[in-house]
Amino acid sequence: MPFELTISGLSKTYPNGVKALSDVSLTIPPGMFGLLGPNGAGKSTLMRTLATLQQADTGTARLGDIDVLRDKDAVRRTLGYLPQDFGVYPKVSAETLLDHLARLKGLNDAGQRRDVVATLLKQTNLHDVRKKALGGFSGGMRQRFGIAQALLGNPRLVIVDEPTAGLDPEERVRFHNLLAEIGENVIVILSTHIVSDVSDLCARMAIIDRGRVLLTGDPAHLTAALDGRVWQKAIARTELDAVKAAHPVISTRLLAGRTLVNVVADAAPGAGFAPIPATLEDVYFHAIAGRRQDAAAVPLAA
Amino acid sequence: MRNLVTIAAFEFRTRVRRISTWVYFTIFFALAMLWAAAAGGVIPGAIVSFGSGKVWINSPYAIAQTMAFLGMVALTVIAAIMGRAVQQDFEYRTEHFFFTSPIRKWEYLGGRFAGAIAVLILILSSIAFGAALGLFLPGIDPDRVGPFRLLAYLIPFATIVLPNLVALGGAFFCIAALSRRMLPVYIGSVVLLIGYLAAQGLLRDMENKVLGTMLDPFGVVANSRLTEYWSISERNTRLIPFEGLLLWNRLLWLGIGAAIIGICSHRFTFAYPGTSGKARKAAVEGDASPVTAMATLLTVDPEPASAWRLLPRMVWLNFRETVKNIYFGVIALAGVLFFVTTSTTSGSFFGTTTWPVTYQMLELVSGTFGVFMLVIITFYAGELVWREREHRLDQIHDALPIPTWLPFAAKLGALMLVPVVLQAVLMLSGMGVQTAKGYHNYELGLYVHWLFGIELIDYWLVCVLALTVHSVVNQKYLGHFAMIVYFLVISFAPLLGLEHNLYKYGVTTNITYSDMNGFGPFLPRVRIFEAYWAAAALLLAVAGYLFWVRGTTDDWKGRLALARRRFTPPVAAVTTVGAVAMAALGGFIFWNTNILNTYTTTYDQQKRQADYEKKYKALAADPQPKVTTVKVAVDLYPREQRVRMKGGYGLENRTGKPVDVVHLFFGPGERLRINALEFSAPAALVTDDPRIGLRSYKLAKPMAPGATLDLAFDLEVPTRGFRNSDATTDVVANGSFVNGQTVLPFIGYGERGELATDRDRKKFGLAPKERMRDRDDPVGLAENALAPDADFIAFEATVGTDADQLAIAPGYLQREWTEGGRRYFEYKMDSPILDFFAFQSARYAVTKDRWNDVAIEVWHHPGHEYNIDTMIAATKAGLDYFTAKFGPYQHKQFRIIEFPRYAAFAQSFPNTIPYSEGIGFIARVRPDDPEDIDYPYYVTAHELAHQWWGHQVPGGNVQGETFLVETLAQYSALMVMKQKYGAEKMQRFLRYELDRYLLGRSTEEKKELPLSRVENQPYIHYRKGSLIMYALQDYIGEENLNQAIRAYRDDWAFKGPPYSSASHLLAKIRAVTPPHLQYMIDDFFETITLYDNRALSAKAKALPDGTYEVALQVFAKKRKADELGKETDVPLADWIDIGVLDADGKPLYLEKKKIEQEETTLMLVVPKKPAKAGIDPFNKLIDRRPKDNAIPVEID
Repeated sequence: MPFELTISGLSKTYPNGVKALSDVSLTIPPGMFGLLGPNGAGKSTLMRTLATLQQADTGTARLGDIDVLRDKDAVRRTLGYLPQDFGVYPKVSAETLLDHLARLKGLNDAGQRRDVVATLLKQTNLHDVRKKALGGFSGGMRQRFGIAQALLGNPRLVIVDEPTAGLDPEERVRFHNLLAEIGENVIVILSTHIVSDVSDLCARMAIIDRGRVLLTGDPAHLTAALDGRVWQKAIARTELDAVKAAHPVISTRLLAGRTLVNVVADAAPGAGFAPIPATLEDVYFHAIAGRRQDAAAVPLAA
Repeated sequence: MRNLVTIAAFEFRTRVRRISTWVYFTIFFALAMLWAAAAGGVIPGAIVSFGSGKVWINSPYAIAQTMAFLGMVALTVIAAIMGRAVQQDFEYRTEHFFFTSPIRKWEYLGGRFAGAIAVLILILSSIAFGAALGLFLPGIDPDRVGPFRLLAYLIPFATIVLPNLVALGGAFFCIAALSRRMLPVYIGSVVLLIGYLAAQGLLRDMENKVLGTMLDPFGVVANSRLTEYWSISERNTRLIPFEGLLLWNRLLWLGIGAAIIGICSHRFTFAYPGTSGKARKAAVEGDASPVTAMATLLTVDPEPASAWRLLPRMVWLNFRETVKNIYFGVIALAGVLFFVTTSTTSGSFFGTTTWPVTYQMLELVSGTFGVFMLVIITFYAGELVWREREHRLDQIHDALPIPTWLPFAAKLGALMLVPVVLQAVLMLSGMGVQTAKGYHNYELGLYVHWLFGIELIDYWLVCVLALTVHSVVNQKYLGHFAMIVYFLVISFAPLLGLEHNLYKYGVTTNITYSDMNGFGPFLPRVRIFEAYWAAAALLLAVAGYLFWVRGTTDDWKGRLALARRRFTPPVAAVTTVGAVAMAALGGFIFWNTNILNTYTTTYDQQKRQADYEKKYKALAADPQPKVTTVKVAVDLYPREQRVRMKGGYGLENRTGKPVDVVHLFFGPGERLRINALEFSAPAALVTDDPRIGLRSYKLAKPMAPGATLDLAFDLEVPTRGFRNSDATTDVVANGSFVNGQTVLPFIGYGERGELATDRDRKKFGLAPKERMRDRDDPVGLAENALAPDADFIAFEATVGTDADQLAIAPGYLQREWTEGGRRYFEYKMDSPILDFFAFQSARYAVTKDRWNDVAIEVWHHPGHEYNIDTMIAATKAGLDYFTAKFGPYQHKQFRIIEFPRYAAFAQSFPNTIPYSEGIGFIARVRPDDPEDIDYPYYVTAHELAHQWWGHQVPGGNVQGETFLVETLAQYSALMVMKQKYGAEKMQRFLRYELDRYLLGRSTEEKKELPLSRVENQPYIHYRKGSLIMYALQDYIGEENLNQAIRAYRDDWAFKGPPYSSASHLLAKIRAVTPPHLQYMIDDFFETITLYDNRALSAKAKALPDGTYEVALQVFAKKRKADELGKETDVPLADWIDIGVLDADGKPLYLEKKKIEQEETTLMLVVPKKPAKAGIDPFNKLIDRRPKDNAIPVEID
């Protein structure tokens, strides 16, 4: 049996009525897997559920032969988790905390543990500051510490939730390299709302919004599928509402003071629209926009 | 300003919408209401009152007490709300929004401050609402409710609660603003609590009252102090004025609060913490070089769960994190300071301390410090539970492959180490205090046994509870508050009638340690309760584990689902073990407390007394014979805690009527085992009521007047298992002390067994009754008050005990022998005594001495030699004085016998004085210290005097009896003390007596009576008695007074019935009082008289001949009080001391002047430079403000 993470029919509704996950099914093979979606899409809920921190209402998830939702301890033994928002004990040094966490992960042999901690600190480039209190770390350094602890104990499932938020471009690149290397052997789930993170790194991806999986597949294939159907036009800001009313606009952005609108259509939607090569961003916005129009259409149809 | 209001309003609105605000509101509302309900009689078992059952539950005094106390309980709420008001921005990282807004620092701080204060006013107003609405509960006794007065609620709220909010709240607010954390805020509250506890400790010594009052941050002590001498009537009617010590205390703490607020607003900045002022910590320089290649990623596979190996390490890490900071140091230091402060007055009696014996150091620790320890445990439990989440490391931590029980267990372990450290600190402090006081018998084993073997277990039980509560409640501040509610419930449950220890978690019952008897009978019971609660703690820990929040699920539905999943077979097994153990141990306890013994609450006891009266009052009319001889063989079994009394009464019918039925009342009730009970004439048992302890025998042939009858008895009081609250302390392994009256039957109906206070009587539908018969009632005078069922009797006793113990009873040793491994002592009294005797046994050392032909012996615990010489000296001095002034001593021996401190009194039996180890044997009277009062000397002289007052001259069973017995003994002791220590020292002693008289009358349950009509009220017959008799001998002369007393003795010694009454003594005193002072006899003995004397001004100028002329203006007022203390002014024509004193307090001028106006001006010439002058400067008259009688003299 291949080592895969299989999620099927996962649903979660919060006590306040928010439906965070609804019937989510995904199959995730080893390698980098991008989970793309806007804020509030349910990414973190899904991540936390996979990381054993939250209960799902229904559905199953299996990691190889481990039942993720039931056999939490087995998952934890093979899990590396970097939460979206985490802190550290400010007065403790990086080395001490990492060593402590390594013990808790089950690295019992003192010599091995020392080696692992030293290696990880080197790999995340924190070796020089290993004796410094974590309270003085910059955002990037802290994020690197986060990845170091996520790699403790040779995990086969690594979950990183919005890891590059708050990193400068250079650190982001470094971070991507680090992830890419890990992703060669194990399942890495990268949750993000930044499309380029996924297009740069991931062989497979899923787009989710409002708790539902909208699309899943290989980014290249998904992009290819949309090729030739994306049209763009530069308009004045004042025209935007009229254009939106007339065409299925998937995204707008500003360029040199003009507004660029992207429209997906099988044929040229009208005067001034030029075909452009499809990007993963278009795939993303198309998926989200389509989903939202569906959602909006429901009450009208009813 | 508008910004300030906006911020304040926002703070208030958001707080008011939170559930926690209303939870706090409801709890304080409920507490205040419950208190009113309990004091008002809604709960039948409750024994709550505001000092006296005569004080209305809505009197200004009661409301102020409630507000002050609950205001103090609100400390953590104040800390939480004030601290959070500013700290929340740092925790939620919203500070930048405010710091970058165009608002001023003072607007931000002021707004938050004002908003939080407003919320607290809202919350704490619930106290007033609760106290007021509690009056409308069904079942409130209308007699206990006075008229409604709005001001009675508003004034204490404004003078006590509000200043607390501003001053203490301000301090908390500032600590939070500057530290940006909550931990220091809680440390602050602990320090304040210690201030309060230290203040309480200091109050034991009268000299410290002002200091203690000022030290209390909550105004509780100040409020009590301000009203302590108020009579019942004043407590019911006077609003609490904002003056005196209360005013000063509030000003002091408001000042401290203002200073802290000032510093805070100066130091607080809107800047990012690292950039303000000195950069506190440099940021770590980031390394910008790229990440190293990953080729060398080590693939070390984790091993399977090794939780047990991780546990000690995690415990240690959690513990280190808890104690390795400044705050824990502050707490430990505060603890030491507290200990040292309170140890200065430890065991203080008349302002005189004892030797710092180890158990006293330890009681100091467990008493007040225990509260403090509970607070520390509670709040560290909160810190530990929330630590990961507060550092936002929880998600990483929770996803680690460790079992969920591990962090819970690790935190529990760390928490349990906290009291270990503090106990060790206290142990060292205790030894330090002992060393500093020159005491070197450290008893290390006792320290360790007590602190770590007993008390630590109690604290560990609290640790489990606190951690579980925080785990389950999952809201830090609510968790803290839940723990406070627990502490309150535990502390006040007995007052509400919930007395069984089986349902008070963590209560393992008290221990009274005695040097003589060690932990005595208490330890086995404590161990069983500890085991029982440990089983409960196991169940709690399971609950704490099941509901431990791991991950982000914190809704109840999700947590319940998780808990269900965590309830695996091993957990179920642990639960079963805990439940079975708890049930088994609980059953065992129940078997002991409720089956082997009868479980009685205070309510049950009262009910029994009520039933006694209801069912058997009619028996009082039956003529009964009197006891004429007692011959008894007492067998004490110290280790079994069993006593057996075999012997007989000789009875004689001294009434003029035939005796048909004899009623026997037995004190031990259901504990008593009657092996045999037989009259020398045929008699049939007609009533047998073991619950009450009554047996009635109908004589086949009635006893004719003058006829005699013998009663043979074989009675046993065994100890079976253990009881819920009290323990057998009369027969113990070492130091037995059994009063004969507690075992042997009383003949006839005894009114003393009836319920006394009107409030209790009403509860059971009994009409109010007088406590005693009128002073001259012939029915009462026909019996003596000490033993109404006998007159003077012939007495002999044999006492058997363990072979290594000495046993003693009144009388002279006839014979001593050993038989069957037991030792026997036969005593016989050579002259008639009252029917009042006791038996004692212990491993004694005996110190012997002589006075003329009287053998003096002190039987004491080896090691308690400190004051034996004093006791012997007092005995000799007393024998000198009393035989010379009052008449011969009737015995040839005088023996003082030490007994364990289960009771703190000495008691005079014929030629034998049981004397508690707690009131003199370890007293430390420093001869060179002018402050110390030699109370072993005083107590000995007092008890010796009872051989005359009580044993030679018993009083009739009427009002004023204790005036004859106790006041005369008190007077006799004072004269012996005066001889040795001089008049100056007496003044200090009398100041304590005044204090205790004034305090006593303010908690009177029925009515205060004039001295000659005292109804066994200690504050009158001892305290007021001392003051009055001392003043009287000063006014009419010691010799005169002694003559009168001697004449009285000569008339009444060994006489009766009828017995003497106060009228007889007063007649003798009147006869020796000169006509111009006759008014004093009325003022002193027949009415309650109080003076308000004070010096108004005193100026002096030097005269050419070296003398000084003093111009003195004084004020005097005399008042008479009724039985509840309502006063009326009476005209003054009294002789009062006018005095001018030198710098040493010695009088340069002291004359009695007839004072007839409120204000009097006098010109006096004194030979030397005067220092102070005034009216009644030595406080001979009773005056509620004794200190203003003399003032410093201004010299021109």
